[in-house]
Amino acid sequence: MEQNSEWKPQILGFLCKWCSYAGADLAGTSRKKYPANMRIMKIPCSGRIAPLFILKALRMGFDGVLVSGCHPGDCHYQTGNYRARRRIALTKKFLEYIGIEPQRVQASWVSASEANKFAQVSEEVTKEVKEVGPNRLFSDNGQNITG
Amino acid sequence: MDKILQDNLRKEVKALFEQKKVDLVIGYETGPTKFTTTPVLIKNSEEADRLVINDFITSNLAKMLVKIKGKAGIVAKGCDSRSIVSLIQDHKVKRENIVIIGVPCSGIIDVGKISRLIGKEPDEIDDITREKDAVLVTSGSEKKSLPLKEVLYEHCLACDLSTPAECDVLIGEPASPPLDKVASLAKINEMEKMTAEQRWQYWKEQMQRCTRCYACRNVCPVCYCERCFVEESEPQWINIAPNWQDNLIFQVIRSIHVAGRCTDCGNCERACPVGIPLRSLVRKMYDIVDEMFHYKAGTNKDDLPLMASYETREAEELIR
Repeated sequence: MEQNSEWKPQILGFLCKWCSYAGADLAGTSRKKYPANMRIMKIPCSGRIAPLFILKALRMGFDGVLVSGCHPGDCHYQTGNYRARRRIALTKKFLEYIGIEPQRVQASWVSASEANKFAQVSEEVTKEVKEVGPNRLFSDNGQNITG
Repeated sequence: MDKILQDNLRKEVKALFEQKKVDLVIGYETGPTKFTTTPVLIKNSEEADRLVINDFITSNLAKMLVKIKGKAGIVAKGCDSRSIVSLIQDHKVKRENIVIIGVPCSGIIDVGKISRLIGKEPDEIDDITREKDAVLVTSGSEKKSLPLKEVLYEHCLACDLSTPAECDVLIGEPASPPLDKVASLAKINEMEKMTAEQRWQYWKEQMQRCTRCYACRNVCPVCYCERCFVEESEPQWINIAPNWQDNLIFQVIRSIHVAGRCTDCGNCERACPVGIPLRSLVRKMYDIVDEMFHYKAGTNKDDLPLMASYETREAEELIR
């Protein structure tokens, strides 16, 4: 049995190419300190996110999912993040209803210049996911499944 | 009452054929077993006498419009008419190509419920007569009166539109089923009292019975994708063989996909051969959509579809 103190959550971050990914890059180049629990996947726009991606990530065993894009009004494709917001909102509410802890599905707006905000979001998301513990939702025998 | 409606409907359909306004009409005819109806395609005015209207016109036939070429008439209850409007909004059906024959609906009777309540198979029931707030069930020499609310489908008790708003012809007077939102949403409310872990356990158990026959998807009037995500092979999103994890993912994604288009017509739950309470999923989605975006599917054909539109300020509290 893993001890909670040793267990490190694995989080999948879907970061939009134009804002959040650049923000994460800036956080790195400016040597900000933040937890290294996130695996980052670059996506063309937060509007690319389908609810299926979020569920698939949880099914694969990620303990949490973060979707991050440009601030409202700043989308490179004008309206991608507005559409993403509706989708994420519905997904979050619905997953909560069927019994997935809401902390596992996170979203944020981080611009290309907000290295501090990216570090802060990583910190908060990691903390919240740590609190709800390992993702055993889709496992058959109650064991942790690693993706 | 139904008899007059039925005669009027047949007359109307005959008139539509004579005026050459339609090439065919989608409606209901008497089904193969007692107290059932089955969809029928009427191709000329002589066949119009096969059409029926009664308390058992369960199916939502809107989906059939998607594949039909030419001008089609369709017999539609309130919920069906909303599904048709949804299809118009999604550009799957052209308004000018269809003639909607609206039928005011005062609730559809679930024969399964009657059968369970009186402890007899539907075959053993001789007659079901509808009165104002009750149904009179005759089986042999036995007569039993059951409250109407207990024998209607649950989704009928929370009906938002019983008389079709978008229709070319309306047969009969506006009507409404007895409404009882609490009874209709009882399962959902019960679920919400449970802890997250209990809810997950509940759906896990339910989905273990799912055989992924896709009946729910195939009857759904707004599930019209030519290629469903479950059949994609590159990438393969879910395992082809049924297992509860992937069954659950399928149902959850289906519920999200129909958000803003589902009218709570109950087709999916009726179609499920293993009796999974699918309505507890899609109806919850219907309520979430209403609560968050104040959007009710299929109420205005000129509205943009829910997921194709946005407000600049909404759902802000959910995002960091």
